[in-house]
Amino acid sequence: MLELKDIKYSKNGSEIIKGVSMKFEQGKVYCIVGNNGVGKSTIGYIIMGLSDYKPSEGRIYLDGEDITDLGITERARRGISLLWQEPARFEGITVESYLKLNRDIKKEEIERALELVNLEPSKYMRRYVDKKLSGGERKKVELASCILLKPRYLIMDEPDSGIDIMSLDMIVRVINYFKEQGSSVIVITHRKEIALNCGYSYLICAGKVFLEGDSKKIVSYYERTCDSCGHVNYLEEE
Amino acid sequence: MDIVKGYEKEFEQLVEIYEKKTNDRSLRSPGVATIIVSGNKVVGLNSVKGMHIKSRERADGLVMIDVEIEDNTIIPVPVHLCTGFLRKRGEQVLKFNYIIGDNVKVKFKSHCILTKVEKLHHYMESDMYIGKNSFVVYEDEHFHDEGGGVFVETITRMKIDEGSFFSSKFYETKTRVGRINVVMDIELLKNSKANLESKIYGREDDVIDIKEILRLNGENSSGIAKSTVFATDRTKAHVVNEAFGNAPFARGHIECNEIVKGNEVSVSTLPLLKVMDDKAELTHEASVGRINQTQLETLMAKGLTEDEAAEFIVNGLLS
Repeated sequence: MLELKDIKYSKNGSEIIKGVSMKFEQGKVYCIVGNNGVGKSTIGYIIMGLSDYKPSEGRIYLDGEDITDLGITERARRGISLLWQEPARFEGITVESYLKLNRDIKKEEIERALELVNLEPSKYMRRYVDKKLSGGERKKVELASCILLKPRYLIMDEPDSGIDIMSLDMIVRVINYFKEQGSSVIVITHRKEIALNCGYSYLICAGKVFLEGDSKKIVSYYERTCDSCGHVNYLEEE
Repeated sequence: MDIVKGYEKEFEQLVEIYEKKTNDRSLRSPGVATIIVSGNKVVGLNSVKGMHIKSRERADGLVMIDVEIEDNTIIPVPVHLCTGFLRKRGEQVLKFNYIIGDNVKVKFKSHCILTKVEKLHHYMESDMYIGKNSFVVYEDEHFHDEGGGVFVETITRMKIDEGSFFSSKFYETKTRVGRINVVMDIELLKNSKANLESKIYGREDDVIDIKEILRLNGENSSGIAKSTVFATDRTKAHVVNEAFGNAPFARGHIECNEIVKGNEVSVSTLPLLKVMDDKAELTHEASVGRINQTQLETLMAKGLTEDEAAEFIVNGLLS
């Protein structure tokens, strides 16, 4: 189990996350919903341990081990990974070598991962993970990379952003694929279609967990209340 | 292949080093045009149909090589220019003069094998004229001694005539640089295109100077000059990219990326854009600093250490 206990995080003197507690069991799909700027992505970055996202208070536990002070690599090696909202570009690195990442992975496995994200391997293996890939293509390559990592806990930050609406089905299918493989998925999203596919949701408001529970109820509340509520959109981050 | 009598051993030594470094066995092939220079002597020459090579060696040590390619010549396999130096110390001065005709298609692969020297000044000056509607690729790869005693100066002046395309790649990434000074000065005429790329990896106390100039003198001409330097240890690097938009619809882009690792490196970049025609368009992009943090963290989130991630990124940039 991955657990956040009373996490607080401040930046430039202002408190962005104000005592968040969450629990994620392995093999389940979770959703973090909320308006723009409420701290959803920040929570994802805190879990991943990104360098500018060290909590000022609170602890993070993975299977009982306190991982709060561990770096990104150590967390990744324990099975936590992140699908970035806008993945970085890498000049001179082909899709194939990016997906392989110095590991001993069979070509067929790489091809299978690309097929799962609707990218034709013969067209993409030799292409570069650079600026020439469109935003949607880059996102799909990153999704294929996450598939090959076989993480125990995958944080998906806005998995549909930059991807055409026709690919929403694919994203839902990939989330379910992770679940079938025994991974836990933490999806940060605004998208109803994706949120409804998750079992349990956390609704974030102004850096706090405002509501949590069954995804259908949380999404329904979010649609009825948060969509028209402007008071929480004050955080400059995200 | 014409191997000069008395120089068979030098020829063999250079070819062996080249084959070992590159796994390329084509230098001995009779169908491959080749110029092999050892020190101040042309030791091997092989020409192909439509191509004429002449060489002269002056008493003061200057080696002059003229390469002429007839109009409408397509050379299907790369032309190899192999310059090496097998003594411990000295100076190598080379002057190349290329005249490439109209409708020519050719690729040059130049390699500098300077792996056995302690102290060497290698100076190469080239003038190249490319005729109309031709397609020319020039790849230059250097292999230097690890002691850092090599000083390489390459100065290239070019004129690219109407409708032609020229691409150049200068790579010194596999061995130590020593000191290097690369100057590329390209004049582009109507509808011509040029794509210049330099990649250099500086280690220890290497000194790197790059100057790339695009003179977009012809209507609708276009060019890209891109330099990438990875500077580590006490490397000093200075990159100057210049583009002059002197004709209508000329388009130029210059780019310099200098990635540093360590606190003792000293790197700088100086872009210059000058437009002399209001329909010309020039852009530049430059970055100097450590490896992008988001790139590092993207790879670290996949389980790579920071050093492994940095190596992966740099290998891509310098590939």
